[in-house]
Order: sequence, then structure tokens, then C-alpha cells
Amino acid sequence: MQLIDIILRGNHRSVSVIGTAKNAGKTVTLNYIIEKAHDRGISLGLTSTGRDGERLDLVTSTRKPPIYAHRGTVIATAQRLLEEEKVSAEIVEVTGMATSLGPVVIARVMSSGYVQLAGPDTNSEMKMIIDRLAEMGCGLILVDGALNRVSSASPSVTDGVIISTGAVVSRDMDKVIDITAHVADLFSLPQVQDGDVLARADEITDRREYALISREGRVDPLEVKTALRCGPYISRQIDEDTAYVVLGGSLPGSALKDIAGAVGDKSKVSLVVRDATRIFIEPMEWQMFIKMGVRVEVVDSINLLAVTVNPYAPQGYYFDPGVFLEKMRETLYPVKVFDVMQGGE
Amino acid sequence: MSYREKRDYTAVKPYGDTMNDGKVQMSFSLPVPFGDEAREAGKRLALKMGLEEPEVVYAEDLGEDFTFLVIYGRCVHSVNFSSIEVPKVQVHERDMEEIDRLIREKIGRKLVVIGASTGTDAHTVGIDAIMNMKGFAGHYGLERYQMFDAYNLGSQVDNEEFVARAIELNADALLVSQTVTQKDIHVYNLTHLVELLEAEGIRDKVVLVCGGPRISHELAKELGYDAGFGPGSFANHVASFIVDELISRGA
Repeated sequence: MQLIDIILRGNHRSVSVIGTAKNAGKTVTLNYIIEKAHDRGISLGLTSTGRDGERLDLVTSTRKPPIYAHRGTVIATAQRLLEEEKVSAEIVEVTGMATSLGPVVIARVMSSGYVQLAGPDTNSEMKMIIDRLAEMGCGLILVDGALNRVSSASPSVTDGVIISTGAVVSRDMDKVIDITAHVADLFSLPQVQDGDVLARADEITDRREYALISREGRVDPLEVKTALRCGPYISRQIDEDTAYVVLGGSLPGSALKDIAGAVGDKSKVSLVVRDATRIFIEPMEWQMFIKMGVRVEVVDSINLLAVTVNPYAPQGYYFDPGVFLEKMRETLYPVKVFDVMQGGE
Repeated sequence: MSYREKRDYTAVKPYGDTMNDGKVQMSFSLPVPFGDEAREAGKRLALKMGLEEPEVVYAEDLGEDFTFLVIYGRCVHSVNFSSIEVPKVQVHERDMEEIDRLIREKIGRKLVVIGASTGTDAHTVGIDAIMNMKGFAGHYGLERYQMFDAYNLGSQVDNEEFVARAIELNADALLVSQTVTQKDIHVYNLTHLVELLEAEGIRDKVVLVCGGPRISHELAKELGYDAGFGPGSFANHVASFIVDELISRGA
């Protein structure tokens, strides 16, 4: 099965492409999906949380592939970038969202050509843009993530996620695989099983509050506004009866350490966050907690569609494409892995 | 005829002694023992860099088989200066009294601003110039403004601590300074902060600003910040931006 089939099979309205680092191969992946979607007659919407399609990287000045948009594609990008490119596009709407390159505009491409994308900066603005592109009839909306940012992968923003990773992350292939597996692990975290608890946790995290849920289903609110630096306080509230610790904001490694430390039998208590983009923890630390039996569950599970790999690094080195792909597939199974440079099959 | 009239902004070259002579000076160290071979190696490298007539005008033995070189040469390339446009923060620049008055009239309460050099960065020169009472180059820092509650957390503040303080103090604006970087660590440190703010649900509630010698407004945008201030920015620029942004958001 090809990458494009996986994307289309699920009937996803919006898909974000995020990277494990800068220049990990997001644009190549994006171009692949654009071409395949075009072949199948799907009307596309394109936007970006950062900036993409520029010829030279702003930080490292390495060459980057441009983004090709076909006639009829609707793009949401900064006005100045639209003017810079030769492509002819009709501006349909000027939004009130500001970027350093002028306001975000929504435009329909009139003759196929290269485009640069720089959409809204925040998740809430991105949601509005996606809704708008859907209203305009886009069958598939692609959101290009900035640098190594993952927040656009939140299920509250996009329906499906593709992770782009590559040799740029490290000269050590195993390290690239470890870091990618970590992101894939987090994105594959299970949704809370118990229906009642899920409903409670949904309400709590939606209000960005913090609470404990007991085995009998009793909700005890926690008087904190964040788990950052509040791990010791939260862990002191946990008792024998606690079944779930629900966090309305982020779950940092430090809080996980404090909370897990306070629980004797780790399998008896689950930590619950809204979705996996709220978790901030280093791969090694995460592995250690998982081995200790710590359980983390989510309210909204992320629909991880696939991982794409790029064996070439802009620094000049590369991995054996076949070996890299095979090792990544082995480690990430059952997550699907593709090398789009080699056709995405 | 003055030099000004002879200038061609569509093809600008370095200026040494005469217009368009392309003279440049550069210096670098090579990991080779000091001597004529080191000088020659420097010269050949300069040729590969596209410099014409390179001359080694100074060489010094750094010890441990390292040689420091200063090279003159002629650059054959030019740039079209008239086509260059760099995105900058659009700031309606005001002075301290005006800004204080504007906050009093339009917002009606003190604004809470938190600043820090985050991550491993131990350099506070940037954030101090913007925040400290005495300010920098004749521009008073935010601590001196009557209508700002300014908190300078100092250096090596990790992002979790920074966000925790932002939540605790109900901050209106966050200023992040990044001075020194290796392997683009400043970029990852800055994106990590944005992700944490999104996860905590306060990204939309704060004006998020970064600054430092490697920061441009264009880069700030790519990273997900509201504005980026490079070298030559003063407290009143940053303060003007914060106030305008908060007023336009209807704070």
C-alpha cells in the first residue's frame, strides 16, 4: 500500500506533516502527497505553521526544495510570499492574522507553479484556517509543520499526522531511529478506556483544569494552574484510592518523575493528558518510566498515519537508504514507514 | 563628483581604497603548524572562496600546531542592494512617557512582562539592556516604566521554569533572549518554548517576543513568535510593540 492510499483511506480532512528536526524531509513528503493527490483529482488546501517553500533555509542557508501547487489548489500564506512568487493566484480572502511577512491571505492558484507557505502562528488560528479551507471545498488540507514543532499534530488541529524524519537528526543512525521511535511512541499512546473516566477527563482537560479521579469515579480537583514545577504538590495529593491524575496542560518529564515516584504500584495509577503533543520528555527518560510500569493515557488519540524517512542529510553525509528504511520499519512496526525519495511504496 | 553620485546600488561590492575594488579582509585559524606552508594553505583556501589576488598579510603561531592568518583579497561578486527588503517588526515607536500614558488610558492596568535568557544561555547582556532600570544607550529599561511590572529572571532559565512563572504571574508578555548558540540550539530552545506555551494553553494569552544577535523578525515568525528583535533594538521599541499588540487584541 502506498503512502497516499493510507492518507486517503481514512477520509481525513486535514493532515499535518511534522518533522523531528529542521530539514528532515517535510517538503519532499509534502510534494509527494501533492503530486499523488493531484493524480487522483483531489482538491488540495495547503498551509504551514512556519514557513516553507523558500529556496534557502533561513537558519542554515542550505538549499531546500520548492513546493509545487497545481491549478485550483487553495493556499493560506503570508501576502508578501504570494507576491514574491511567479505563480498567479487569486486572493479570495485577507484574514486578520498577522505574520512578519504581512497578513495571512487565502488564495486560489490560477496557473500551476511554485509557492511559499507561511500560515498562522498559533494553533487556534490554524484551526480557523483549516475550517475556512474546508468550507472552500478542499478535499484534503495539508499543514506543513515548522522546524521540529509538533503542536499542529494535536487532534484538535488536524485529523491525521505524518512524521518526517531523516539523517539530519544525527550522524548515528540508531539515534535517529530512537528519536523517531520516541515521537511515534508518544503519538501512539492509548485513549482512556473507561467511558465514564474519558468523559470526565474530557471535561477537565477542556477547561484546562487539574484533578484526581478515584477508583469509584470521584473527581477531586487539584488547586494548581499547571503541572510545571507543581509535581511535588500533585504527588502529595495522590492516595491509595487514586486511579487517574488528569492534567489540563502539559506533562513535563519533571512532573512525571515526581508523580511516578509517589506511586508505589505504578500500574494502579494512570496519568491523563489531552493529547500527546502535551508531553515533554526526553527519549531515555520516557523509556525508563515505561519500564517502571508508568501508564500515560490521552483523551484525544493522535491518528499517526505514517513516518517518512530521508537518508540524506544537508550536512553532506547519508545512510544506506535500504538499511535505514528497513531498520526504521522494524523498530516502528506496526507504524508504516516510507522513503518518499524512492517512490513512497 | 562625490562618491554618492557614483554609487550603483544594483551592483554593490566591498569598498577598500577605491569604489568597487572589492577589497575584503578576513581572518581564520588553520589546524596546521606555523610556516610558509600554512600561509600557502590559507592563500589557496581564499582562492577557492572566490577571492582574487589573495595575500597573507599576517600570520601568527598559535601553538599546538595551529596558525592564525589574516588575508586580503578582492571579491568579484556583487549584490543588488536596491532589491533587498528585510521584514522588520512594524513598530510605532514611542518614548517611555508616551507608552506609560497609552497603557494607563487604553488598558488601565500595569502590564506584567517576564524576561529571561533561556536554556543553556548564560548571557544576560541582551535581556538586561531591555529590562534593567538603567537601560542601554540612553533608553531606559522596562523596569523604569511606571506601567510595566517587569520581572527579569536572569540567565540559564529553563523553559519549564519560565512558563511556570508566566502562569503564576499571569504574564501579558514574554521576552526571550538568545545570545550564544551552538549547532542552532537557540532554534530548538525557542521552538520548545512555543510548544510548551501551546500545551499549557497560554500561547494566545501572551505577547511572545524573542531577541538577540541571531534573531530576525523573519526567523521569529518561522519559530512561532509574535516578533523578533535583532541588534540595535531598545526597550521602547519592544514596549511599543507589546502595547500595540495588546491593544489590537483588545486587552
